[in-house]
Amino acid sequence: MKLRKELWFGFSLIALIILPTLLLMPWGHLTNGHLGLMMLSLIVVGIMMGFPTAFTLMGMGVFFAWLAYRSVNPALANRQVLDLFVQRTYGVMSNDVLIAIPLFLFMGYLVERAQLIDKLFKSLHLALARVPGALAVATIVTCAIFATATGIVGAVVTLMGLLAFPAMLKAGYNVKVSAGAITAGGCLGILIPPSVLLIVYGAVAGVSVVQLYAGAFLPGFMLAGLYIGYVIVLAKLRPELMPPLPASERRVELPSYAQALRQYGSNALAGLSRAFTGRAAPGVGKRTVLAQLVVTLSPALFILAILGATYHSATSPEAKTDTAGLIEAGGAIAADASESEQSSGLIGAPEAEEENKPQEVAPPPQAEEKKPAADAQPAGAPAQKVPAPLWFWIVLAIGVATIALIYWLWSWERLEVYKMLLISFFPLAILILMVLGSIVFGLATPSEAAAVGGFGGFLLAAAYRYTAHVRAPADQRAGQGKAILATVKDLGTILKESSFLTAKTSAMVCWLFVGSGIFSAAFALLGGQELIEKWVLSLDMTPVQFMMLAQFIIFILGWPLEWTEIIIIFMPIFLPLLPHFGIDPLFFGLLVALNLQTAFLSPPVAMAAFYLKGVSPPHVTLNQIFAGMMPFMGIQLIALVLLYVFPQIGLWLPQMLYAR
Amino acid sequence: MVFFFCRHKIHAMQKLLLFVDRISTWVGQAFSFFIIALTLHVSWEVFSRYALDNPRAWAFDVMIMFYGTLFMMAGAYTLAKNGHVRGDVIYGFFSPRAQAAVDLTLYILFFLPGVIALTYAGYFYAAESWAINEHSNITSEGPPVYPFKTVIPLAGAFVLVQGIVEIIRCIICLKTGTWPSREEDVVEVDVDKLKQELHVKDEDIQKLDQYVVKQERK
Repeated sequence: MKLRKELWFGFSLIALIILPTLLLMPWGHLTNGHLGLMMLSLIVVGIMMGFPTAFTLMGMGVFFAWLAYRSVNPALANRQVLDLFVQRTYGVMSNDVLIAIPLFLFMGYLVERAQLIDKLFKSLHLALARVPGALAVATIVTCAIFATATGIVGAVVTLMGLLAFPAMLKAGYNVKVSAGAITAGGCLGILIPPSVLLIVYGAVAGVSVVQLYAGAFLPGFMLAGLYIGYVIVLAKLRPELMPPLPASERRVELPSYAQALRQYGSNALAGLSRAFTGRAAPGVGKRTVLAQLVVTLSPALFILAILGATYHSATSPEAKTDTAGLIEAGGAIAADASESEQSSGLIGAPEAEEENKPQEVAPPPQAEEKKPAADAQPAGAPAQKVPAPLWFWIVLAIGVATIALIYWLWSWERLEVYKMLLISFFPLAILILMVLGSIVFGLATPSEAAAVGGFGGFLLAAAYRYTAHVRAPADQRAGQGKAILATVKDLGTILKESSFLTAKTSAMVCWLFVGSGIFSAAFALLGGQELIEKWVLSLDMTPVQFMMLAQFIIFILGWPLEWTEIIIIFMPIFLPLLPHFGIDPLFFGLLVALNLQTAFLSPPVAMAAFYLKGVSPPHVTLNQIFAGMMPFMGIQLIALVLLYVFPQIGLWLPQMLYAR
Repeated sequence: MVFFFCRHKIHAMQKLLLFVDRISTWVGQAFSFFIIALTLHVSWEVFSRYALDNPRAWAFDVMIMFYGTLFMMAGAYTLAKNGHVRGDVIYGFFSPRAQAAVDLTLYILFFLPGVIALTYAGYFYAAESWAINEHSNITSEGPPVYPFKTVIPLAGAFVLVQGIVEIIRCIICLKTGTWPSREEDVVEVDVDKLKQELHVKDEDIQKLDQYVVKQERK
């Protein structure tokens, strides 16, 4: 029988692991520690054979734990193994960290089925039309947001392959660049919180998931920013790879009232206010004008609300900082602004107040969560006001300048694009920011935030499905009642499918934990861990060398194995070594998360590439996709080095928030 | 005649296998609705704590029980849909017969001892909990824990039965050279459905080829 190339590769890999194990084992005087090492090499082989990993771990764990107990007291061995196994299993079942996994998965499946990605991509594409490499940038931004909310790499890559790939190809974009942008963007969800990978790492390493999320925030956005920067620079340097969009692709359809109101000037704010105060334009009702005016003014109101909140928190006595003042300042319209501002008062860390930066891309007032004002009323109102510090006036100046700039540029087309963003981009961004904000600022545990996020995802799905039914093409449009009925039917399917998928995926991850529970216990019982520790310490490595070696091993493991297996099975071996080298497990986790990103993009097993290939035209080859992913993999390595050289990128936020 | 008999037997067997699949699926899907209950329960708890200032002591216990029951009881369902993660380095390149041989060996070597141990140990673990009428000690007067602990042997038994079905599948595959079919289920990435949602037709993708070809000519 002629073996295929891949089989040769696999078998030689197995031989590479088995042979040294067999040769190096001191067969004459086997100690338990050696058994532990043998078990470790056997598990790698076992996993590579392709049997469901959870059960491989279980079987091996039970057998080796029994061996370990038998060597101490044969009479009790059976009982002890069974007790250990069932207790470990119960430990997984009652783990208060892992509980966030099904909840985040559920939220992801719901958001994925909300059918908002096409709106999201289209509005971002129009909003970014003037940026060099506009479509590629819009693709990465869409991927980053959508992947963050859903965390499902396969679905994001497939969806973008159906949506953005055709758009980019038609616009004359290079196949490789387009493929690279989609695959790299789709994998961002693994790193940017709320990611399931970080929960799993937190559960394994005993690191607080909250701190991991706070830590992964900046590296995640740094990576996305590097991708975007790379695309823009490339588009500038070699425009033939990403030609600028033709005018027809950039044009925004103006509704009739906007065309009528255009006579008042090209600035929408000026036009609207003139139409509102004075002569009514022909065929344009006052209500339309008023509605457009409210939409137009919303960014200004939002920035003002943040400024007001900042002023309040800056001037009120620090000890008594309370949410009430913020809510009063912003009023109901800024309810969700105060939602994120509250935190500065609640966690009681004065440093956090300096964080109120108005210039960050802030969600507009959607007033989704109105808090009853009575609830927020403090018992004792803050008595004395502190004079506003200098930084507040700087922030104020920046805020006012931003408002001025926005309205100077506010043309009719921009108003339309803004409205599109308002219904596609901002709801999702607000959902993510609310979930993350409440976790990071300590308002809710990750599982609570995930549950509320899941509920929010359900509302999003309901809203988008309903509008889709109401705004269906005229020939198949139904009445109000029918639209509601159709939406309810849709939602039933969505809930059912999302529940089933959540159950299957959580069972996959958590049964892996059940298996690894007994497996790692057996490994520890046999003393394999001690042997490895002794060996690693005897190598006398510097922390840098150790870190490089560890990351390299993880990178290599990322080829044949899934990230779940790497973190659940192999992380426990590295983690006890970290204190010896003075490495922060939080920092190590961030590096691992960034490192495993590359595993998704490294051929020949990069899943993202296969998902994209599944929906691309036949002439796009896998090699082209791989070639397109290469520069992005290079960027990931740069990001890894950057994070390693400047650990503050990851540690600054957790340190500031939780005074680590 | 013998050939016919074999096929007939396999056909009857396949019916039985699919029946067990369906039981596992039904149980797993029934318990999968716990995620909706969990989401609502936690959302309400958060609302009740912040807005109504009325946290409930047993909320945490209930949360844990929903989660633990959900994933344990979905174990057999996931196995029935071949959803447990596999290290796919060389497995995918094997012929079906080789796959079945590997699987069969490892089912007997790893799966049966592991899952039988889990079920057996879980039975006594739960029985003990019933005997002492165990309640959660996270809060005072916590809810009873024994039903939750009963989930371990129950889930273990379902996984065991489903595992035996998988073993029979391996044997059939060894005999016939092809894997017996399974019933379909929702999958994470359903390309056809996604195409339909975005109104993308296969012809559209075919048409895109011209742009790719144009690039290649340059």
